[in-house]
Amino acid sequence: MIAPLSEAIDKLVPDGTSLLAVGGMHMHNNPMELVRELVRRPRHIVRLLTSPSGCMAADLLIGAGIVDEVATSYIGFEHLGLAPCYRRRAESNELRVLELCEGAIGHGLYAGASGLPFVPLPSGLDLADNGRANQESYKTVINPYTGEPVVVVPAIRPDVALLHAQSADEQGNAIFSRAHFTDRLMAMAARRVILQVERLAEPHEVAGAAAGCVLPGFLVSAVVVAPGGCLPTASHGHYSYDEEGLREYIELSRTEEGFEHYLRIKGLASVEVAV
Amino acid sequence: MTVVQPNDYSAEELMAVVMARCLRPAEVAIMGAVSALPQAACRLAQLTTAPGLWYIAGGSGAVNPHQDPLVASSCDERLLDADAVLPLLEVIMLEGRGDIFDVFFAGGLQIDASGNCNLGPVGDWARPTLRGPGGVGLPFVSRSRRVIIYSTSHTRRTFVEKVDFISGPGFMDNGDRSRQGPSLIVTPLCTMDFDPEKQRARLASVHPWVAIDEIFERTGFDLVPAGPVPATAPPTDGELSVLRRIDSCGLLRRGDA
Repeated sequence: MIAPLSEAIDKLVPDGTSLLAVGGMHMHNNPMELVRELVRRPRHIVRLLTSPSGCMAADLLIGAGIVDEVATSYIGFEHLGLAPCYRRRAESNELRVLELCEGAIGHGLYAGASGLPFVPLPSGLDLADNGRANQESYKTVINPYTGEPVVVVPAIRPDVALLHAQSADEQGNAIFSRAHFTDRLMAMAARRVILQVERLAEPHEVAGAAAGCVLPGFLVSAVVVAPGGCLPTASHGHYSYDEEGLREYIELSRTEEGFEHYLRIKGLASVEVAV
Repeated sequence: MTVVQPNDYSAEELMAVVMARCLRPAEVAIMGAVSALPQAACRLAQLTTAPGLWYIAGGSGAVNPHQDPLVASSCDERLLDADAVLPLLEVIMLEGRGDIFDVFFAGGLQIDASGNCNLGPVGDWARPTLRGPGGVGLPFVSRSRRVIIYSTSHTRRTFVEKVDFISGPGFMDNGDRSRQGPSLIVTPLCTMDFDPEKQRARLASVHPWVAIDEIFERTGFDLVPAGPVPATAPPTDGELSVLRRIDSCGLLRRGDA
């Protein structure tokens, strides 16, 4: 269960992964250590799914050029600015964007976790353009109970979810003691889950938190211990986001050359890895 | 004639005060990304004219965060110092219910005369000139009773006749009037309300330091006033002192929100 970083990525994220989900929300709890390892390998990702609000984890994967398409409702840095690599690749049409709304992601993951094939959305959401821009996901069917049209979105079943939790024990039981966003939901919908944690939990800690927010280990494929591993994003319960570090990334990544420079100085240039 | 901006408060502080004034006791409000401004407005309203107001701070799921202090990110851990915290899926569920939220705070890279907001692609959808971050929960504005739109930018690029992509629907061409829809737009220059018949934005008040011509110059649609346009009432001493207790780090004072 407890695995070294390289082994977890090697075994659980195949080249050509069809749907990779990345957890965290805005500049909080991004599983950056796992994402950085994917960039170093590198692994080809056919489709990337963000939480309702993706941030640096998504932007770095997109910048590295290993993502063909992204299904998202937001990728950005809130008050710090727009996502530089997402902008560049989408504006040059190198990246296909599946426009989803927060409802399609939240309810879609719920459906994926529940074995539901698809899920209807509340009326009114069709007034937005998401459904017109993304006809693959949004379909209109007839509600069999009323005869009225209703918009549906598909269940989301990620092949792999990369997530962060505060701690986990050796069985993979994980403590999400602060905001858990859609992370637990992603874990329940995904076929495989790699969990990045700040530290290993003592057995008594998990027992004491059982009624609170524990993700059971049978939903977790591997736990990677990575103290400080969310930086420069925040890790709730441990550290705030490193604003200077985020600004450095945003600033350098405005150009392709700057982004390559960022990868080099952070030790993220792709390497040949003997398997 | 341009009057110098009053030195004793910032444009963002005035915006928060204006938004706070239109909230009512016992209403339930919700907001999304980059929402320090409406969060400050809600907390100010709770402590002044709208005791018993409820508000949810974006993706944190925090209900009535105590704002000690006001923070810039909508998922900051400090927001969890609150009256309750909902898992995000439950916030999404309640956004869909349709009879919970009285007020939805919205924004956009583009905002149009019908109150539509765009946080997605500007220009061609497949090859946008500006790829915006995305609308997150903005489609849910259609499930709330009324919408308050805020923008810290007031230019012709922001305020356009018609948005390129509808992330948050305003008044639609189909004339659905079952909800109040967009009710107010607040910018660093002015406030706008909506003509109930034409369902178009109109100039409602001009901030004290702004010349009215500047607003017309910087608005990309025809902004017809309803009548004589008053100056936006500046913050009272009381409003400003409560607001600065909330915003003890000075995010709004510095324009960092």
